[in-house]
Amino acid sequence: MSDAITVSGLNVSFGTSHVVKDVGFTVRTGESYGIVGESGSGKSTILRALSGLNRDWSGAITIGGARQQAKRPPAFYRQVQMVFQDPYGSLHPRMTVDATLAEPVAIHALGDVDRRIDRALADVGLDGGFRFRYPHQLSGGQRQRVAIARALILEPSILLLDEPTSALDVSIQAEVLNLLSDLKAARGLTLVLVSHNLAVVGHLCGRVAVMKDGRIVEEASLEAIRSGDIREAYTRDLLAASRRAHGAISAA
Amino acid sequence: MSNLYAYLTSEAPVSRGQARLAQAYRRWLALKANPLALVGLAIVVLLLLAAALAPVIATHDPLAQNLDQRLLAPSAKHWFGTDALGRDIFSRIVHGTRVTLVIVLLVVISVGPIGLLIGTVAGYFGGWVDRVLMRITDIFLAFPRLVLALAFVAVLGPGIENACIAIALTAWPPYARVARAETMVVRNSDYIAAVRLQGASNTRIVLKHIMPVCIPSLIVRTTLDMAGIILTAAGLGFLGLGAQPPMPEWGAMIANGREYIFDQWWVATFPGLAICLVALGFNLLGDGLRDVLDAR
Amino acid sequence: MSSEAPLLTVENLRVRFHTPTRIVEAVRGLSFTLGREKLAIVGESGSGKSMTGRAILDLVPWPGEVTADRMEFRGQDMMGLDKHGRRAIRGKRISMVMQDPKFSLNPVMSVGQQIGEAYRVHTKASRAEARERSLSMLEAVQIRDPQRVYDLYPHEVSGGMGQRVMIAMMLIGEPDILIADEPTSALDVTVQAQVLDILERLVSDRGMGLIFISHDLPLVASFCDRVVVMYAGRVMETLDAKALSKGKHPYTQGLLGCLPDLDHPKDRLATLQRDPAWVSGGGA
Repeated sequence: MSDAITVSGLNVSFGTSHVVKDVGFTVRTGESYGIVGESGSGKSTILRALSGLNRDWSGAITIGGARQQAKRPPAFYRQVQMVFQDPYGSLHPRMTVDATLAEPVAIHALGDVDRRIDRALADVGLDGGFRFRYPHQLSGGQRQRVAIARALILEPSILLLDEPTSALDVSIQAEVLNLLSDLKAARGLTLVLVSHNLAVVGHLCGRVAVMKDGRIVEEASLEAIRSGDIREAYTRDLLAASRRAHGAISAA
Repeated sequence: MSNLYAYLTSEAPVSRGQARLAQAYRRWLALKANPLALVGLAIVVLLLLAAALAPVIATHDPLAQNLDQRLLAPSAKHWFGTDALGRDIFSRIVHGTRVTLVIVLLVVISVGPIGLLIGTVAGYFGGWVDRVLMRITDIFLAFPRLVLALAFVAVLGPGIENACIAIALTAWPPYARVARAETMVVRNSDYIAAVRLQGASNTRIVLKHIMPVCIPSLIVRTTLDMAGIILTAAGLGFLGLGAQPPMPEWGAMIANGREYIFDQWWVATFPGLAICLVALGFNLLGDGLRDVLDAR
Repeated sequence: MSSEAPLLTVENLRVRFHTPTRIVEAVRGLSFTLGREKLAIVGESGSGKSMTGRAILDLVPWPGEVTADRMEFRGQDMMGLDKHGRRAIRGKRISMVMQDPKFSLNPVMSVGQQIGEAYRVHTKASRAEARERSLSMLEAVQIRDPQRVYDLYPHEVSGGMGQRVMIAMMLIGEPDILIADEPTSALDVTVQAQVLDILERLVSDRGMGLIFISHDLPLVASFCDRVVVMYAGRVMETLDAKALSKGKHPYTQGLLGCLPDLDHPKDRLATLQRDPAWVSGGGA
């Protein structure tokens, strides 16, 4: 299997604070790779550098075999898309679902707008009745589905997920996680999932990088984490916190 | 009727048109719930009607002088009395609505776009673009509006078009500031990040994604500003630098009545009341629109 | 439950919002009693759990309308009170901690002054006395260097510290009831544990009643004494926190079943099947 993403020596600073420190990892094509850490650990910043949103980084990023510069060519965006954490902030409040989904099709002059929008909505499990609604007429879960449809309408091979379920209710989280694993299976997507929730990452990903204070302190397979075959005390803490949370409802 | 209501309040519109109509209908309902805004709307509609039907409503020719009937008090024949040249004041006020509307329209169509463009570009790009554009804005902001307008009119020459240009040139900076402030909030939002990730050009982002967010607050700002614009125009008219006689401009009419203010109060009072009423109307409407458009 | 009168009794609480196109019912007939305990109100967004907290404190925003057959604070009727009477109870006897301290603290006042201000609103204490009390309160919420933190501004404190400051501010009037609306959701797990620890201690040391509003079932199961499960403005069931996983209502079971479990991976997560009868009929 080839590598979809290779990152080495990645550094990001905002002013005087050094947020991402010498980070390196590799994601294979078709793999689901997780990055866990607490707020401020730099995990989202890595995603923003990968996606081209943040242009102020140093190091080497290779995506789909091509070394990436700060500014990305238009074709890059058909290959890599991103889903954001807050579905309330990631949809334009004054655009209908229809207008939001038509935008990427128009930018890349793909044509056939109506068919593409209908298919994208169907793919994320929304019927045509949602097409002409405004975001304020949608629930959080429906909004996140629209955001996923927007990312997938360009048919990318790599999907970056920035805490895609942490703003959602647990029942909606389950639906969105199921949707993501279905889409991944159907399209052979490569996923990079960033989350503070080890259980969520564990559900979707096979390998996990644990971040603390801007560094990847440990990278391990999920089996290793489950069996406790881990080096770092910090990883152990996260694991213990996750187990404690779940233990309270399953042990009783 | 109930079908139409269901169509407009549907939570699942089936076409672009219905989505837009339903959005407009929800705003209308919100506006309707605010009695003061409705009063404002009524005044503005009245202004529009008066301007459209001025020849029908007016009882006399607004320009016809009749020196035999100078300075007559309000009566059944001359509802608001006559001025120093024997012209019917009611008819002049009615025709004056056209002048007022022309001023307002000219200013709005020039000020809104300029302010919007400068504000969004400065706010979106930031850096030196922002610094240059905002310093220019500051220069215009540093002068009182009427004084700057006076200077422009002095250079361009008196007349209603020049008065409008002068007002427009002095009115855009606050609009640019409002648009810039709003853009700076919006530009960091996830939905703008999402269109950037779709490969949209900066021009497209500013025109299609940022401007629609800024427009409602500019509309509100414009309606609130309308009173000020009308007053500035009237002020220029009063000073003799705006509309030129015999055009029935309200500010100029007040100026003409100034000499007789103690003995023939109606000459200056009625145009003054007209200015007050229209300014109030726009203000009330703007206030209501702010609640409606900002909602959500 | 002990035999003494409950701190708070709520019967048939309803909150309605009149919008131009329809009436939205946020809370539909909620009843519960609160003693000196940790009572959790859990539910998903839109279940009416936050609106319940706000209704108790008379903080429901316009155009909301609150009705209840009975709402008593230590046997004293609150619905019949006028604005002043309710305000006297609110803040002094019952206070509230919100989810995000960033939006609840005044950005241009040092945190210590804000705590002192809260104290001076309810007592006619001098400034020096207020400062003294604020410092001891900061200490009570486990802030190590209260003198230093007293002079910090909200933007200079971390999320966890901000939440502790909020708690200090809400507790300085020594209320009988604290309503905490998702007090730890914005915090990291490690910080979360510390904040919960403080709340726990306040309840056990001061005999306070705590209403803990949350969407997090596992957290509530381990932290609280009793749990009210809400859905669409109604109570689905009320049960002992220890027995949450044995909850009988399909909604409770559904919520628990859809959580991903690190140690027992499944290909697909169970999803919640919502029964329309829950909205109309109420609890099982």
